[in-house]
Amino acid sequence: MSAPTAKQGAGEEEAERLLAAAKLNPNDGGPFRALGHHYARAGDAQRAARCYQRAVALDPDDAEAGEALCDLLDVDGKESLELAVCKESAGKSPRAFWAFRRLGYLQVHQNKWSEAIQSLQHSIRGYPTCADLWEALGLAYHRLGMFTASVKSYGRAIELDSSRVFALIESGNIQLMLGYFRKGVEQFRLALELAPRNHSAYFGLASALLAWSRHCVATGAFTWAANLLKEASEAAKACSSLTGNLSCVWKLHADTQLALARCFPWEHGDIKWGMDEHTFKASVLEWRNTCLSAANGAKLSYQRALHLTPWEANIHIDTAVCLDLICTMEENNSVDPIIWELPEKISLGGLMLEPVNKDFWVTLGSVSSNQALKQHSLIRALHLDMSLSEAWAYLGKIYRQSGHKQLARQAFDRARSIDPSLALPWAGMSAEDHNQYGAGAVNESYESCLRAVQILPLPEFQIGLGTIAARSGELLSPQVLMAVRQAVQRAPHYPESHNINGLVAEVRSDFQSAITSYQQAKFALDMMCRSKLDNRYPFVDVSLNLARSLCKAGLATDAARECEELKTKGLLNVDGLQIYAFALWKLGRHDEALSVSRNLAENLPSMKQESATGALGFICTLAYNITGKDSAALVIHTLPGQPSYNRELKFIISALDALQPNKRFQLPQLSTPPRLTSYEVMSEVHSNIALGKAIGGESNSCLGVEGGLSYLKKVLHMYPDCSLVRNHLGSLLLSGGDWTASHKAVRVTSLSHGHTSNRGLRSPHQIQACATVSCYATCTSYPKFSFPTCEDQYLSQYNALCNLQRLVHQEPWNQDARYLLVLAIFQKAREEKYPKHISTILKRLILQVLSSRSNSEEHKIVLYEKYLLLLLSSEISLQSDDHANCIAQATDALRVTSPSADAFFAHLQLCRAYVVRGDLSNSRKEYMKCLQNGTNTEIGWVMLKQLESLCSLNPGSDEIEINLKECIERKGSNPSKWASLFNLACAQSSMRVEDFASAEKALAQACAEKDADSCILFLNGALNMEIAWRYAAPQFINRAASSLRKAQQKSQATVPIVSLLLAQAEGSLGSKTKWEKNLRLEWFTWPPELRPAELYFQMHLLASQSTASGAPQQKQHQLLPETMQSPGAWLLRAIHQNPSCSRYWKALEQVVYV
Amino acid sequence: MKLAGLKSVDGAHEESIWAAAWAPAADHRPTALLLTGALDETVRAWRPDDLAAASPPARGHALGVLSLAAHPAGVIAAAVSLDSYIRVFDVDSGASVATLDAPPSEVWGVQFHPKGVALAAAGGGSGSVKLWDTEKWQPIASLPVPRPEGARPDKTGSGKFVLSVAWSPDGKLLACGSMDGTIAVYDAVRMKFLHHLEGHHMPVRSMVFSPVDPHVLFTGCDDSHIHIYDAKEKGLIGAMSGHASWVLSIDVSPDGMAVATGSSDRTVRLWDINARASVQTMSNHSDQVWAVAFRPPGGEGVRAGRLASASDDKSISLYDYS
Repeated sequence: MSAPTAKQGAGEEEAERLLAAAKLNPNDGGPFRALGHHYARAGDAQRAARCYQRAVALDPDDAEAGEALCDLLDVDGKESLELAVCKESAGKSPRAFWAFRRLGYLQVHQNKWSEAIQSLQHSIRGYPTCADLWEALGLAYHRLGMFTASVKSYGRAIELDSSRVFALIESGNIQLMLGYFRKGVEQFRLALELAPRNHSAYFGLASALLAWSRHCVATGAFTWAANLLKEASEAAKACSSLTGNLSCVWKLHADTQLALARCFPWEHGDIKWGMDEHTFKASVLEWRNTCLSAANGAKLSYQRALHLTPWEANIHIDTAVCLDLICTMEENNSVDPIIWELPEKISLGGLMLEPVNKDFWVTLGSVSSNQALKQHSLIRALHLDMSLSEAWAYLGKIYRQSGHKQLARQAFDRARSIDPSLALPWAGMSAEDHNQYGAGAVNESYESCLRAVQILPLPEFQIGLGTIAARSGELLSPQVLMAVRQAVQRAPHYPESHNINGLVAEVRSDFQSAITSYQQAKFALDMMCRSKLDNRYPFVDVSLNLARSLCKAGLATDAARECEELKTKGLLNVDGLQIYAFALWKLGRHDEALSVSRNLAENLPSMKQESATGALGFICTLAYNITGKDSAALVIHTLPGQPSYNRELKFIISALDALQPNKRFQLPQLSTPPRLTSYEVMSEVHSNIALGKAIGGESNSCLGVEGGLSYLKKVLHMYPDCSLVRNHLGSLLLSGGDWTASHKAVRVTSLSHGHTSNRGLRSPHQIQACATVSCYATCTSYPKFSFPTCEDQYLSQYNALCNLQRLVHQEPWNQDARYLLVLAIFQKAREEKYPKHISTILKRLILQVLSSRSNSEEHKIVLYEKYLLLLLSSEISLQSDDHANCIAQATDALRVTSPSADAFFAHLQLCRAYVVRGDLSNSRKEYMKCLQNGTNTEIGWVMLKQLESLCSLNPGSDEIEINLKECIERKGSNPSKWASLFNLACAQSSMRVEDFASAEKALAQACAEKDADSCILFLNGALNMEIAWRYAAPQFINRAASSLRKAQQKSQATVPIVSLLLAQAEGSLGSKTKWEKNLRLEWFTWPPELRPAELYFQMHLLASQSTASGAPQQKQHQLLPETMQSPGAWLLRAIHQNPSCSRYWKALEQVVYV
Repeated sequence: MKLAGLKSVDGAHEESIWAAAWAPAADHRPTALLLTGALDETVRAWRPDDLAAASPPARGHALGVLSLAAHPAGVIAAAVSLDSYIRVFDVDSGASVATLDAPPSEVWGVQFHPKGVALAAAGGGSGSVKLWDTEKWQPIASLPVPRPEGARPDKTGSGKFVLSVAWSPDGKLLACGSMDGTIAVYDAVRMKFLHHLEGHHMPVRSMVFSPVDPHVLFTGCDDSHIHIYDAKEKGLIGAMSGHASWVLSIDVSPDGMAVATGSSDRTVRLWDINARASVQTMSNHSDQVWAVAFRPPGGEGVRAGRLASASDDKSISLYDYS
């Protein structure tokens, strides 16, 4: 008992002390606040309030007193007083943040949003980390419709305190309103984690998912949408279990179910090839049942909602729409017009509640099955609002169904102009256009339908789009593909969707899928045929499609069976006959195929022009394939002549023409003026004629290139920019024996960019690559490794290698491109003397090409390429001194050779390898094999000749020469060129054994040939000089000089050392001016960075000569190279370059001492 | 949503430029760097705002650089060259880190895992995707592209040629595109084939996943269309047309709202994903555009979006994306 009294006493003491303190300093708020606390504790609210009031009045920033005062007022319910206190304090001091905070909360409470925002913003400056303030601010913004600011404020609140369920839900709602479903869903999910029994979070989640799924449906991601909807439906269900008496929750659940029923896709992903009828039907039925059960679930939920709030008219309407969907799915249309249908009744219920709602009238019009009622209700809707586009659109649909074309078109037009983002009028217009003829109408129809599908992906629209696309040739368009695929997902019970899906797959040459689709179309037809009787025509179409796809996929047996089935039913039409004949031919039943084609031929006159020529072409080709060219020609002659052949037929005729050199058709059609026929066709036809000339020229195996060439030149003159003709010309040039063909071919063909045209005998890239490797001379553009010896240096102007690399980059799958690249790089490696890094790259590339070719079919060309690649690989090994690998690869190459390929070169390679290894007996063996095998390539013989002496064989026999001559005769190539090369080989062999006399003889012969090569002349000159020097025979110097002079003229002074040698020769002959002139020429043949020491030395000599002679022409000296430096400087440079040469030092000694 | 040309460097390389990639900003380097690779066998690095050369060209990419990919940490990058070596190098110094190959097949497109733990490479003629780990550079897996159900008869008979590869931003999916237009999708966690995506019928040279929707895939194809797939649910959900020729490269903006494409028709196009339509065409290149790349977020000046394009005309261009 004593303790409380003591406490009370102490309290009173404290109060007295505080009172005293307050009296002492009545302007200090502190004691009043403390006093206020004291009274508050004691339960004397009135006194406490007065004290607090005093404290706050003295110091408006006193948050403690202010809060306490407001709390007291709040408890008493004196809201206006509280507000006044806060306002007063806030007015007194801007730092009274507590007052602003209170004020803000109070204003939020009183729904004074804009004022609240100001107060809250101010108070946030004082309490920046108070989550409540941010939340309140967010709410205020939200209510004012400032959504972005609101989301930011809520976000800050959540950031400060992650357990803010209210902020999460509200910001989720705003995100949803702004259309950011994904973020909304995220927020609601977070809220649900914090408060798992919060029904508004569930509601928000469900509606967010529903909105998201609608977005997905609009883009066509149905599986995705269905997954979202399932989740949404679960959320709505959870919400309804929490609060079962809210009508809007049930409506939401119903909405999700209805959306699911509408978008649930048919899963056909795991369809196996040859899926049987039963599985297909079962899966379609299962799909339908899923949809139906979802729709029924929607119906039940709508019913509950209706039960809870029967006065809500729009739930009536929703129920009516749902019932309508169920009716169409169950397909139990009652035919009695007098009985009101359920959907009609329910929507009338809605209309009873709100008779002036125009949308309700439209709904009634769309769910009703009674034409008169439909029309009436739509017109009622239009009475209410003339610009109601939906009503116009439905009206158009009704008119179209009842055959009023003009009215329908007007209605659709009006609907479309009122609201262009409505799908139905576009679809309606498309259907109207589709029925008209002409390309313009079809295009218009396609565009309209595409628009409709893009606005609203309904399966009916999508099937329509597919049908129009099939007619207008737009089946490859991805929009059509997408639409048709979606149509299959959404309407698997329509045979049309499967059929068009098949067409789309077929046009993409995916025949297996096409076959599957057509089969499904047949199954679907079968399912439908119970309700409809006449399905013969669609059945024929689908079967024909199926047969055609089977043919294309190579399943001729099945195709023939399909056709026979149709035949037994008597439904085989002209197209069917063609497919049947083709399938029979593929099966090897030639006689039957021919009889079918005869059958087809009888039908020709009754056919349309276009299809008739097509069929004629087919018959020709078939006849050619079965019985050869003669009967095909007969077909053309006997069948009724068409006034104008179409392009395919012209092509066939010209091809036949080319194959029969003896019996030419002399078709007048081919010589019609070019302007009458299309450009492309004529170039093809002309190419064929040129080939025909080439083939027909001679009877032996070699092509008569000349005839074809001259014809093609004329054609090119007519069609200068036709790449096909150019390619043909290039490839013919290359196959001819022309020495400079490689250069001409490159100039004649043009590389196209982007789209390479692979038509013609060879692609332009191929021609270029062939030209690169086929020029016998080195055409290197970089003189570090070797000097270009090619007399016409066309190739150096452009970089074939880079072009090939570009080609490989563009078409990485193209193994031919890779092969060509290997050849070009090999050429480069050869020119650069097989540097190590290029050899490594080459080996890798060859390995790649070989490995990718290993699993391809054993085609003749492929085998040849493989053979060549192995030889290249062997050569690289040889050059990098890897003899074992070299021999192994050459032996491999021998193994791949087919009878037609040339085994000669593999033996030659082996022979070379053995020679390098020093294995004499083996190399002789290979040499003999080479002789036995023989070759049709001139260079082979020349190379063999080179090897002859290396194998230590008697060079006496002239077997090789005879063979070479035969070879030249056979191919009609340039004999003088080859003779000089052969002599060169002979000379090389002689020189190797230091038999200079015979070498000289051979070289002299080589030079004597017409148009001898500069290199040979050069070699001859050098040899003569050597002989003159060795045997001190001055008469050879004359010969040397003349050869060298010719060489200099031929090479146009680009080959180095020629002029130097010539200078020496001329010097020895005593002509000093010629010596000077040639030395100067020599100076310019070298690229600056490569000039050797000897050249500097020679310049030194030249310079000292001219200074010794007193430099008569001062003016011209500026132009002469030797005057660029003093003689001494030349000498020093020479010594600097090559300090090991004693001659230079001696000369230096002379200069120094003299 | 628009592009504005900022700068163009003509003759940035001596030959056609085939690849471009942004190396993101790293700890030691505040800005991203643009890497370009070309037929002239070099890789060059450029500063992000003025396209000044950032370092001397790195040589040795024999026969030309086909494809470039930067590690998400921004320190290293990988370049594939026509001799089928993948050379992994340090972005700043150009020093070689590792050299990878998978003989005898070619290697085409490469891409790093979004977390940087693995490198995926399209295995060309081997018909598979090869994976290496980025720590020890050891091969992890080779994912073959299975033939679709009842496969179409292949004309070349050499199987598929895999050209392009892409990781989803969450690292769960891996997609690869082949020359016959099929796209294979793998579960990248369990290394399992999931399904094919259909719709293209010509080579798919480039593909990229959306940064905001981890299962939305954008593909560019030689049939001149751009497709949008739901890679997880196996659905074609959009198609955009407008290029006159092959679509060679595609990249998606960091905000996921736009894609940019480079094409054989010598243009760069910007597409609005939501509207499914082309909004802008840049025709400043005079030859086919082999690479387009958006600068990744992170580093200084991230607010400004940047797009780089590289072309056969030896030039690179930089655009402001806003």
